[in-house]
Amino acid sequence: MADSIAFTSDRTLWHRIGRIGIYTLLAVFAFYYIMPLIVIVSTSMKDLDEIRTGHLLSLPAQINLDAWTFAWSEACIGVTCTGLKPYFWNSLAMAVPAVLISIMLGAITGYALTKFRFRGANVIFAMILFGCFIPFQVILLPMATSLGYLGVANTIPGLVLVHVVYGLPFTTLFFRNYYVNIPDDLVKAATIDGAGFFTIFWKIMLPLSLPIIVVTIIWQFTQIWNDFLFGASFTSGGNQPVTVALNNLVNTTTGVKRYNVDMAAALMTAAPTLLVYIFAGRYFVRGLTAGAVKG
Amino acid sequence: MASLNIRNVKKAFGPMEVLKGIDLDLDDGEFLVLLGPSGCGKSTLLNMIAGLDSITSGEITIDERVLNNVHPKDRDIAMVFQSYALYPNMTVGRNIGFGLEMRKVAKAERDQKVQDAARMLQIDHLLDRKPAQLSGGQRQRVAMGRALVRDPKIFLFDEPLSNLDAKLRVEMRTEIKKLHQRLGTTMVYVTHDQIEAMTLASRIAIMKDGIVQQFAPPQEVYEKPANMYVAGFVGAPAMNFIPATLVAENGKLGVSMQRTAKGNRSDVFLALNDERKELADWVGRELVLGIRPESVTHKSEAELNGTRNLQHFDCQVDVLEPTGADTLTYIELGGREVIARVNPHNTSNPGETMDFMVDMDKASLFDPKTEQRI
Repeated sequence: MADSIAFTSDRTLWHRIGRIGIYTLLAVFAFYYIMPLIVIVSTSMKDLDEIRTGHLLSLPAQINLDAWTFAWSEACIGVTCTGLKPYFWNSLAMAVPAVLISIMLGAITGYALTKFRFRGANVIFAMILFGCFIPFQVILLPMATSLGYLGVANTIPGLVLVHVVYGLPFTTLFFRNYYVNIPDDLVKAATIDGAGFFTIFWKIMLPLSLPIIVVTIIWQFTQIWNDFLFGASFTSGGNQPVTVALNNLVNTTTGVKRYNVDMAAALMTAAPTLLVYIFAGRYFVRGLTAGAVKG
Repeated sequence: MASLNIRNVKKAFGPMEVLKGIDLDLDDGEFLVLLGPSGCGKSTLLNMIAGLDSITSGEITIDERVLNNVHPKDRDIAMVFQSYALYPNMTVGRNIGFGLEMRKVAKAERDQKVQDAARMLQIDHLLDRKPAQLSGGQRQRVAMGRALVRDPKIFLFDEPLSNLDAKLRVEMRTEIKKLHQRLGTTMVYVTHDQIEAMTLASRIAIMKDGIVQQFAPPQEVYEKPANMYVAGFVGAPAMNFIPATLVAENGKLGVSMQRTAKGNRSDVFLALNDERKELADWVGRELVLGIRPESVTHKSEAELNGTRNLQHFDCQVDVLEPTGADTLTYIELGGREVIARVNPHNTSNPGETMDFMVDMDKASLFDPKTEQRI
């Protein structure tokens, strides 16, 4: 009896120590991850004097958004002083069509590969999949040649094309794996009902695809928005995406280094992907696991 | 309303032949059941009728129109799937009307037809729901409604009841039968359940290994099975197969086999019908006597004096299995376990010897080598 009491109190003690350990560790990691963000946000709201005299971790004395407006519309990128604004729109004009087109094509390809199986479908899928493993650097030169040949070098549509081509293996993989779990009988029933390839796709498959569409949007948008290499390689001057412009903004020094402007610009550049995660993130996890467990 | 002809249809996936020359002719308004174990090719054949699978050789016609290269939507057929295959994103009403929508039927007419079909299946109160909100039986009805609303020439059913629980399955079976009686439309129904086949079919095609073993009305399949496979597949408990020797005794042909009675092993002779003269060259040879459990009962003097060819013998009882209506009595004949259906009030205890009576009019004889009916 005495033994068992000693045992239980012993156990609760160890349990407590374990809990404290876990929470301490979690707090340390949370701090570690949130710290850079706090520094960036608070620095972007300080003026230069405060940055020079104050401590890196100290909070701004007052909220001052001058650095934000400056980064958005006045900062010099190279020799042009337009702020990030035009480049931000460049990125949007690149990312939105590229995401939509690559998702659309990926969905149709995934649908054809699973529901209209043809001879060699698996070989074609394997070849498409292989595209996921090609490093960006390998295709830079042939892609530059192709863009020149097509007459879209140094244009936003050129970048859209590059990202659509590079995104297709991933979007096809996502949709193919999602559609594999949708019963073939649905397609057979619709065929007998008189629906054709695209009618079945529009009226039946696509309405069932919301979770995987959200997953693919997040994946593709993040990839395309954050891309630096293609933007830096295939565009110059006013056609650059915001990631390249951010780099140039930070590297363009006219006298004093404006840390607050750099931080504000970095936050602006990161904002769209953050927003996409915040608004669609819960679908992300749900979509990734959809079909893994039979409902 | 249509006739269906399947002529020497074959299906091969690469070198593997799945259907080896199927011939079936179906008259207008018939109910054909394709019966067989999984992998016998019955679903493939149904898919070929629907146009969802290509035909390797041979031809399929509806009303003498060759369908081999006709698209499924132009075949004027409707199909009910085992998984129901309801469109999850559409309401019940839209599910049922989808085929009409694709055929550009005007909205008002479409709604009317959907209403009519739904009322016939008693699901008109569910039209605004999504399939996920329905029970299994309701989904099955929606799937049938989707077929019904199109008023097709032929209905195809692919194991439509196998996802339902036992009670619902029996109910829906009756529904389908009623539906067939009311509409009078030709139907083709795939199942591995021999009870469904017996209850629904106007003719059954029993398939095995890509070959139709027998194509006949249910009663004929039951009473005169074409071979031992069919005999064993249809009927529960299964037909008894007894190894026996054909002998002539007192100018009568009959089968002879061993059994134990009152502690002694001895031969028993069961005379066959007189008409079966063609059996003469089988005398002295081994064959298999096939007899259904209900044809082996307790001996009744009154019935023995009737016109039927009833033979009797005594045999030791091994095991009793009461089912309520009958008691399944296990005995041993010719070295095989044989089941007799005996009235519960006429049974004897295990170990005792009891008098049995066999209805030899219902006996089937099979060649032990080819397993075909003699």
